[in-house]
Amino acid sequence: MFYKPKKAVYSQISRRRFLELGGYGATMLGTGSLAVGLNSTIMSTRVQAQSSDDAKWKQFAGSKLVFLSENTPPSFAIREKLKYFYDLTGIEVEILTDDLPVVQQKAGIDLRSGTADYVLQYAQDKPIGAPFADFYADLTPMLGDETLPQDPEGYGDEVWFESFLDACGRFYDGDRVIALPYDAAIACTFYRKDIYEANSKDFEAEYGYRMEFTKDSTWQNVLDFATFFKKKKDAGAEGPYGYAQHQGAFAWTTQLDIQRMCFANGRWLDYDIDDRLGSRTPGATNWGDEQSVLILEKFKALADVSHPDNLANGTLELNTVYQSGNIAMQVQYHEFAASVEDEATSLAAGGKTGYAPCPKGVPDWIRNGGEAVNGTNCGIGGIAINKNASEELQRAAYIFAIWSTSADNQYEVLKGLGGTPTRKSVLQRPDVIAAQQRPSSMPNALTFEPVYDFGIKQPNFVLGPKIPKANEYHSIIASTTQRMLAGELSPAETGAELKSQLDALNEG
Amino acid sequence: MTETLTGIDMSVRAPEDRFRARKVSTEVEARPLSAALPPPGRLNPAARKAYYFYLMAPAIALLAFISLYPFFWLIVMAFQKGDMGAVEWVGFKNFIDLASDDRFLSGWVLLFRYSAMCLFLQVSIGVLLAVVVNGSRYERFLVTALLMPMMMAPAVAGLLWLFLYNGTFGWYHWIFHSLGLLGSGSILSSAKTAMYAIVLVDVWQWTPLITLIALAGLKRVPRDQIEANMVDGASPFRNFFAIVLPNLYPVLLIAVLLRFMDNFRFIDHILVLTGGGPANATKILPVYLFEVAFKFFDLGRGAAIALVLLVVTIILGKILVGVFDRPTAGGR
Repeated sequence: MFYKPKKAVYSQISRRRFLELGGYGATMLGTGSLAVGLNSTIMSTRVQAQSSDDAKWKQFAGSKLVFLSENTPPSFAIREKLKYFYDLTGIEVEILTDDLPVVQQKAGIDLRSGTADYVLQYAQDKPIGAPFADFYADLTPMLGDETLPQDPEGYGDEVWFESFLDACGRFYDGDRVIALPYDAAIACTFYRKDIYEANSKDFEAEYGYRMEFTKDSTWQNVLDFATFFKKKKDAGAEGPYGYAQHQGAFAWTTQLDIQRMCFANGRWLDYDIDDRLGSRTPGATNWGDEQSVLILEKFKALADVSHPDNLANGTLELNTVYQSGNIAMQVQYHEFAASVEDEATSLAAGGKTGYAPCPKGVPDWIRNGGEAVNGTNCGIGGIAINKNASEELQRAAYIFAIWSTSADNQYEVLKGLGGTPTRKSVLQRPDVIAAQQRPSSMPNALTFEPVYDFGIKQPNFVLGPKIPKANEYHSIIASTTQRMLAGELSPAETGAELKSQLDALNEG
Repeated sequence: MTETLTGIDMSVRAPEDRFRARKVSTEVEARPLSAALPPPGRLNPAARKAYYFYLMAPAIALLAFISLYPFFWLIVMAFQKGDMGAVEWVGFKNFIDLASDDRFLSGWVLLFRYSAMCLFLQVSIGVLLAVVVNGSRYERFLVTALLMPMMMAPAVAGLLWLFLYNGTFGWYHWIFHSLGLLGSGSILSSAKTAMYAIVLVDVWQWTPLITLIALAGLKRVPRDQIEANMVDGASPFRNFFAIVLPNLYPVLLIAVLLRFMDNFRFIDHILVLTGGGPANATKILPVYLFEVAFKFFDLGRGAAIALVLLVVTIILGKILVGVFDRPTAGGR
């Protein structure tokens, strides 16, 4: 019925012979796999790994790592470059990205349950680093280990921007480093130069000074600007509000929002602890003192003349409000400059936006004897290694950590998707220097002067508070401050309520 | 009266024949009669109870493993303080502390308020829609259209409404603002209105479930009772409350129970829309529980809240069943 070739293979090989050949094939495959496996094991011995640079990079070939990260530009850009990393090391890396609150939850469950589903984790300083610091591997034994590849620039404090390594890498103990700075979000002022210029005369006639924003502009100026625009809105004029706050759903950024004003006025801090390392036992909070109540009053006054969606605007939503031209100014994280300068989506693009340091404190608002500074805070995202993973996996993860934070990679991310470098050397490259002026091929670079040359320098920079219960602390600050802004509590009651809840939290 | 429309003298027939006689008439017979038919005689004798138990044993064992085992650990954790791995027994401290936790207490108040608003609106609108849709020329199309929100994942629904409510570009914000229902701020930006915003999302998404269940119930309302009532001169309005609604009680009980428990469980859209804010205005107890367990990682306190929530849910569920289980005029 069917055509049957005369020399068909099956007719020349008996069934027994066919099975024998299959057996040989399987044996050869098994031997080959064993050889590859043994080779990997042999290469991973530290003596062998020292033999050459190539061997150091490839000593964990065949390993697989999962990196849980926030959905920010560095991770997107690095995901595109994973093939280069695989070719270099033979290590397969999967990068999973999500919103920071989700990353926080997944990381917490993984770390606290003793598993290592995510060997590499994006450890944002306060929301992830502070509560989970003990669950991450100490990187110091690996930094400088001759059996591992090392970054020629090194990892000392001097190669990163000021305080970045402290912010994301050191918690409660100066000897351990649990993360390398991977990306950064530093607050600075975004303001509409065109709107300021258009309103300057009217404003000057009413307030006696020009409407402009410089490094010496204070929170009182911001309050004046916001009041001016609010009055115009109330009178029925078309145009933007003057200011908007980050008082929306994400508790951490809500806390950062009020922290800037508090620190600017007398360098006021929530706790009398080391701001760089934090403390496991922060003790009684300073909320409720005269200084904090005065700042709460000013914060409420600013809210009353700001954009009406204050209590719904998280950081992303606030940036949308700014992009859509509904506010003339925002204090925002410098990583958002790339989206603000995107002419396809932003009405504030095309040279309309100016960048300046965060507003300065007002001497008249200071009761604690401190100085008025340009209070600037941050979120420094570190890349950390899960301590639950095996030693070999931790070492393989270390290779990815130093590769992903290398200057070359940071430069590529800045150039491609608008990253935020953490290594100083990136800013010394000629095209990055050129990009700090308009027209810029790297819009985030427009913020570098107010951020890296001013905001993160002392006495302006505030890192903490780093405390183990950071997330509940953020939640209490956010909800209580929101209650004040909603008119449920007076500033004095808010201070007292915060004192009561935070002291109970740290005692419990 | 002994003559019927078919001309058969009903008075001289046995009840079975009368039933058969009615079966030949048209649409009325598509519906059940008030009196239930006697159950058919058993063809096979009943098996021993042990036989059924053996059949179900593997499923019971599996269910026990995946639900009782975690439940056991939930109880254990409620009496502990600390992390997974490093724990300390604290007795009833977690429960005692809850009594002085303002966020826990306000979480209850908000949960009841939220649940009551959702249930009232969903049952009212759901039944009304079912009555409108029932027997309509476009019933199939309307049922399909109504089902669409329910097919959406709650988190996606939350995201959708987040955009619709957005104060900068949200369409619904624009409508509410144009109608004078809202000021210039978004509905989510005020502690006074945020709760209504999340109720609206829940009502939009889950009212169709009530409609669907009520529609199924409407199909089973005995027609003869309605006809009898109409012969007695009752208005359609009176008919609805005297006949239809009592007959809907059993199905509405299921619907209300389902939605009641869902309101205690489904927090996806709240997390997406408000995260419990502003000013804790939408932090119903399950949202607070989620926050304590998976943001603060205070698992002992989280387990204690979950246990209290479970016990209260069971008690309220029993009360609800009791209320609906009363004999009704419809003769269930």
